[in-house]
Amino acid sequence: MKRFVYINDDEASNELCCDNRISNRKYTLWNFLPKNLWEQFSRFMNQYFLLIACLQLWSLITPVNPASTWGPLIFIFAVSASKEAWDDYHRYLSDKKANEKEVWIVKQGIKKHIQAQDIQVGNIVWLRENDEVPCDLVLLGTSDPQGVCYVETAALDGETDLKTRIIPSACVGIDLELLHKMKGVIECPIPDKDIRRFDANMRLFPPFIDNDVCSLTIKNTLLQSCYLRNTEWACGVSVYTGNQTKLGMSRGIAEPKLTAMDAMIDKLTGAIFVFQIVVVMVLGIAGNVWKDTEARKQWYVQYPEEAPWYELLVIPLRFELLCSIMIPISIKVSLDLVKGLYAKFIEWDVEMIDQETGTASYAANTAISEDLGQVEYILTDKTGTLTDNKMIFRRCCIGGIFYGNENGDALKDAQLLNAITSGSTDVIRFLTVMAICNTVIPVQSKAGDIVYKAQSQDEDALVIAAAKLHMVFVGKNANLLDIRFNGLTIRYEVLEILEFTSDRKRMSVVVKDCQSGKIILLSKGADESILPYACAGQQTRTIAEAVDHYAQLGLRTLCLAWRELEEDEYQEWSVKFKEASSVLVDREWRIAEVCQRLEHDLYILGVTAIEDRLQDGVPETIETLRKAGINFWMLTGDKQNTAIQIALSCNFISPEPKGQLLLIDGKTEDDVSRSLERVLLTMRITASEPKDVAFVIDGWALEIALKHHRKDFVDLAILSRTAICCRVTPSQKAQLVEILKSCDYRTLAIGDGGNDVRMIQQADIGVGISGREGLQAARAADYSIGRFRFLKRLILVHGRYSYNRTAFLSQYSFYKSLLICFIQIFFSFISGVSGTSLFNSVSLMAYNVFYTSIPVLVSVIDKDLSEASVMQHPQILFYCQAGRRLLYL
Amino acid sequence: MMEVEGSSTSMNRAPDQSSFLRSRRSKALYQFKQQKLPACKPVLTPTSVITVFLLMGFVFIPIGFLTLRASRDAIEIMDRYDVECIPEEYKSNKLSYITDASIPKNCTRYLKVQKYMKAPIYIYYQLDNYYQNHRRYVKSRSDQQLLHGLEYRHTSACEPEESSNGLPIVPCGLIAWSMFNDTFTFARESTKLKVSRKNIAWKSDREHKFGKNVYPYNFQNGTLIGGAKLDSKIPLSDQEDFIVWMRAAALLSFRKLYGRIEEDLEPRNVVVVNVMNNYNTYSFSGQKKLILSTSSWLGGRNDFLGITYLVVGSSSIIISIIFMLLHLKNPRPYGDNSWNKKSLSG
Repeated sequence: MKRFVYINDDEASNELCCDNRISNRKYTLWNFLPKNLWEQFSRFMNQYFLLIACLQLWSLITPVNPASTWGPLIFIFAVSASKEAWDDYHRYLSDKKANEKEVWIVKQGIKKHIQAQDIQVGNIVWLRENDEVPCDLVLLGTSDPQGVCYVETAALDGETDLKTRIIPSACVGIDLELLHKMKGVIECPIPDKDIRRFDANMRLFPPFIDNDVCSLTIKNTLLQSCYLRNTEWACGVSVYTGNQTKLGMSRGIAEPKLTAMDAMIDKLTGAIFVFQIVVVMVLGIAGNVWKDTEARKQWYVQYPEEAPWYELLVIPLRFELLCSIMIPISIKVSLDLVKGLYAKFIEWDVEMIDQETGTASYAANTAISEDLGQVEYILTDKTGTLTDNKMIFRRCCIGGIFYGNENGDALKDAQLLNAITSGSTDVIRFLTVMAICNTVIPVQSKAGDIVYKAQSQDEDALVIAAAKLHMVFVGKNANLLDIRFNGLTIRYEVLEILEFTSDRKRMSVVVKDCQSGKIILLSKGADESILPYACAGQQTRTIAEAVDHYAQLGLRTLCLAWRELEEDEYQEWSVKFKEASSVLVDREWRIAEVCQRLEHDLYILGVTAIEDRLQDGVPETIETLRKAGINFWMLTGDKQNTAIQIALSCNFISPEPKGQLLLIDGKTEDDVSRSLERVLLTMRITASEPKDVAFVIDGWALEIALKHHRKDFVDLAILSRTAICCRVTPSQKAQLVEILKSCDYRTLAIGDGGNDVRMIQQADIGVGISGREGLQAARAADYSIGRFRFLKRLILVHGRYSYNRTAFLSQYSFYKSLLICFIQIFFSFISGVSGTSLFNSVSLMAYNVFYTSIPVLVSVIDKDLSEASVMQHPQILFYCQAGRRLLYL
Repeated sequence: MMEVEGSSTSMNRAPDQSSFLRSRRSKALYQFKQQKLPACKPVLTPTSVITVFLLMGFVFIPIGFLTLRASRDAIEIMDRYDVECIPEEYKSNKLSYITDASIPKNCTRYLKVQKYMKAPIYIYYQLDNYYQNHRRYVKSRSDQQLLHGLEYRHTSACEPEESSNGLPIVPCGLIAWSMFNDTFTFARESTKLKVSRKNIAWKSDREHKFGKNVYPYNFQNGTLIGGAKLDSKIPLSDQEDFIVWMRAAALLSFRKLYGRIEEDLEPRNVVVVNVMNNYNTYSFSGQKKLILSTSSWLGGRNDFLGITYLVVGSSSIIISIIFMLLHLKNPRPYGDNSWNKKSLSG
């Protein structure tokens, strides 16, 4: 399916007929009442209460005044409805604000000022610096002569660095005046929510005729709710508007999560309902029998001899109404109220404020606090979650020589500095790759310093390290890069960027040395994706050893490589690359394939080692939570050795002989299945020993295991308290959560980056760390915290208290309802089983709503144990995990 | 022993100087937000539990004796008259006796006073096995009509005694229709006793629930005659017997106040009661009793409260003694959880 957008052509675009009105509202003024009522009545409990309330209107059977049910029912409905209305009104206000924002567009060659909601597909929209983008645009022109502009995408993906956006090649050099009159057609896919892909083509009409179909990527777009930065102006044609934009499509109301406690309360309600039916039937039959045998003798009751057909039903229905208070009507409202307060307690907690950045914890989901106290498995990301994600360049190995040791960084290694001054070719090439093989943007601040804006922390660390080693990346001007080395300025022209993808695990740039005219391919990437492509003569053994060595120190490694290209080779390849870049279908895969053709025969320069330090308090947190009976799984995209080292240093696994690591690996199905069986066997044998056994599996083996040996893997998951999964993709992370959930475990997923979002959404509780990798994870999460160590407090203090309080409150609600109901039932035995209510209507209503509901809300500030004693004896959490507070089984 | 937490710790944890300057209210708010409101929690050590039980016993047992004595101070004479008041020839067919209006219903009972009874002596009648709490019965009344009389017409609740001969009944409903109609007169030897029939109903009922201008109308005129007839010259608010009857009892056997004897009765006095035995309890094997009772500061004669106090108090002492013996046999210092190691680590 494709969509054709005609630039600047009102008639042709009208058929797409979607204006830029954003609507996040659930209701309108007219459908609010019916829709909201319908939603509320789709819950069983509400249907039940409505039925009871309706039955009470029949005065023959009602034991009490109908107001005693209608009152609370209407009150409860009004409370939920006004909450919904309030939320919806705020959504309406924010929509209105966005819709009525003034923007400049071009219509028939004239600039006009209109409201954002009136933008049509095909309109040309003008933006100034720091403007918010009103809809998804394809960039046509910018103030920059090279056609570059910068955008901040924080609202979209949470990444705060600036991203470059560039005008399509077809639009280069078009005059400002002519832009107003531009005509053309853009062939783009139907709206989707993938904010990283936009595979489209553009063709301009005369007089801007361009023979080629010009390919468009996400690089040529300005997406809704981004901000234009560091660029005087930019203009673009709107391709997706209103709720069809990338942002609009990815928005959506998340499925409400149900806590274990909620499920238990529903079950209890069901059980009580069944019990109630039994009571009603027994009493109903007894009542009818008594009526026929005894009541006729009681002359003062004057039972009529003749009775209507429904006479037999009257007494059972009376008892149904009498017993209807068995199910507490107020439980939902009181629980909602206290849950809101639990969430507030989390947000207010001063001990969970990150002192460094001042970010407080935030509870996006107010309904699941008590689940925190029942967590059994924590699945954690490594980078940025356990570690700081503050990358520091520590060591390197160039041409087999190790620089940097325990005493100091490579940056201060005299040997390396000597090598630089003496001008060793390998070292200089190594530094060049560090400095320019990236997508970093240097920004000259007013004081004259250079600040780097990088998308990845690794690149940032490398560029900064290169600068400290006298290879300073000073400026980027469209395709021209300036490097200052020992006072000399070297200029490179970037010809192509072969981008990093998680499948390729490497990135390369093709640059041209402006002085010598040589074309060079610079690559950096993970060892397994660089070393196999080394040129024939080179020994990669020392490099591999260096990688191992560094990984054992817990450092992140990257291999840097280099190759000089022949002019012809480049030209030939360049054509194929352009072709692949303009494919609409499977573009990513095609590009990867083409890139592969260039990235071979690489000359490996060396290895960089970057340290990612542990966050403070991580080992203690893991130890405490483990004592509380919570099992930890580490899911990381990093490589095995690094993951194991980090795991050792943060108490995740114990070193030999106390702990034991079992490896599951293999490239083929047989290998994996054999390895899996072996591990499973060992696991079963050692289950009784007091030994910390953990298994380690990599992404490849995991995929095979999940595909062919799912059952075995599930068995393993149940047995294993600790696991390390390395080299896993975001979807595998989510799959692992799914597996643990299917075994009826309560899971908590914690992560900080975009790659953790799926896992966070999948888990029973998602916790995001509002860290350096942007806010994407924190946005998707139910709770966001500043540091990993706050997890301890979140679970042991807030989770546990919430669980205990909710358990108390729900037990109490059932208790008080049953109590008053049993009084009524026992009274019915001495009132001739006739269904008389012992209490009058007002007392009954006041009992439910006043005397027993409001005072008990004080239990939200009840603490059964002090925070200190819970922290000291985390084992106490066992009671919560087993759900023992709600049901004493 | 108490664990106190809160105020002191929170002050230590808020290091900034400004927190000391905050007003008390915002400090309380801060403590609330941080869940650090001052609180104390009783710790149930063996000593404290034993002490509490012992104290409970020592307090409850004297209270028990006191209330029991007060209850015993009230003197009560009870006489079941429904069986005795039926002449020998009708003993086998009580129902025909009570339903036959032509048979005289008067009967004389002699109540012997055992102990000195000080005025006022309350006169109650008691009905047993009488379902004044039956749903059909309880609902069959109109409070609005009792207050406003004929003006109020929505008396459908009064079915089946809503109207007769096409005219509304005041007071309507089964309760009013089935009013108790036995009467009693009292004499000592041959002199009539001074009996007051006033002020036997609740003041609030007389003044606010029953109309001063509401007179009985079309009452007991139907084919089926229930209980007592009412004097249609006297407003409902002054018919205290009726007001007493209209306060339906919750239980199967109940007493209702009939009047007060305003003379002291000496021991060995014989009170002669003339009963008009009109009310039919024979069809459903109910019982009718007459009670004369004085009252103490705790009310009438009722041993329940005193016995309860004694039982609870003495069982507290027994429990405390058992706990004390157990504690002496297996003492455990505070905080020692060695006995529980297994379950904690498990």
